Amino acid sequence: MKNIKVTALALITLLCALFVYVAEDIPVFGDPNAAPIKYVELFSIDADQGDGRLDQNLIPQQLTKRLLERGFPPPTRVEKIPGIQGEWNAFITKEEPHYAKEEKYYFIKREGNHLKVYRYAFVVRWIEKGLQETAVPNMVTYGLADYRGYDTLGETTVIFTAGVSVILLLRRRSRL
Amino acid sequence: MKESEKERDVIIETVSRVMVPFIQLFALYVIIHGTGGPGGGFQGGVVFASAFILYVIAFDLSGGRGRFPESANTLLSSFGLYIYAGIGLLSIIFTSGAIQYLNYGFIPFTSHFEENRALGMDFVEMGIGITVMAIIASIFFDLAHKEEKDGERGKEESR
Repeated sequence: MKNIKVTALALITLLCALFVYVAEDIPVFGDPNAAPIKYVELFSIDADQGDGRLDQNLIPQQLTKRLLERGFPPPTRVEKIPGIQGEWNAFITKEEPHYAKEEKYYFIKREGNHLKVYRYAFVVRWIEKGLQETAVPNMVTYGLADYRGYDTLGETTVIFTAGVSVILLLRRRSRL
Repeated sequence: MKESEKERDVIIETVSRVMVPFIQLFALYVIIHGTGGPGGGFQGGVVFASAFILYVIAFDLSGGRGRFPESANTLLSSFGLYIYAGIGLLSIIFTSGAIQYLNYGFIPFTSHFEENRALGMDFVEMGIGITVMAIIASIFFDLAHKEEKDGERGKEESR
């Protein structure tokens, strides 16, 4: 019995240590510039030939090749972020029925001898394009009723189903 | 059952009689401001249903049912969903070429695509609000009704 207690204590301590170790990497709550909120890292390529081409708004071939290998859509345009040295935005074209087909998709940053390639998180597009696309200032509502309209239709159906089942189970006396 | 059997409290009845219309007005405010400010259909519907619940707690169940009869309740609970799905169907009809279900921008409320989306969202929020209000009220009335009825039956049998 005593052995089990000691083992359990050791395991719990180990788990706590592991959690603290992992939690070191979790960004501070509410930090809008934290990496997982803004972008996801994909890979890095060597900077020697890519850097100069990127500054002239040309896409390095190595970048396109690596992206295609991993199943991502290839960029059609690269643009320097104004005011910051060594950071670029890459755009892709999409099939959208009404809006501009070009969308900001990749984020490229120079770090030492490497170019790190990131993909923008969906949240960035949500925040930047939402008001412009839907003319609704409430960020939650255009997510709920427009971007995720199917989801909300399903939620309403779930509530409706709950009500109907309560009627069927408990309302004995009268008709529906 | 007779009213006289229930103990009546003047303060509670007066306060809730004054409060109920304001609660309902606030609920409508929350639903209508679902797009422009904080609010939405789910919240507003629940607030609206809470007005009925307050009425039933302060007065009695049959009076509450008289104000909001079963037939209207059942009708409204599906009517909201019909509004929602009907907006989606309208957008299918107006985009017969490229089918865009629930893409409100193509419904010609106004001449602007974005304004159409905002208005479509307004209608959808109203539909959600109606359904949630009717369903919450229905669940409450059903649960409350059964208890009271069991009590009646027990008393009748004992007599």
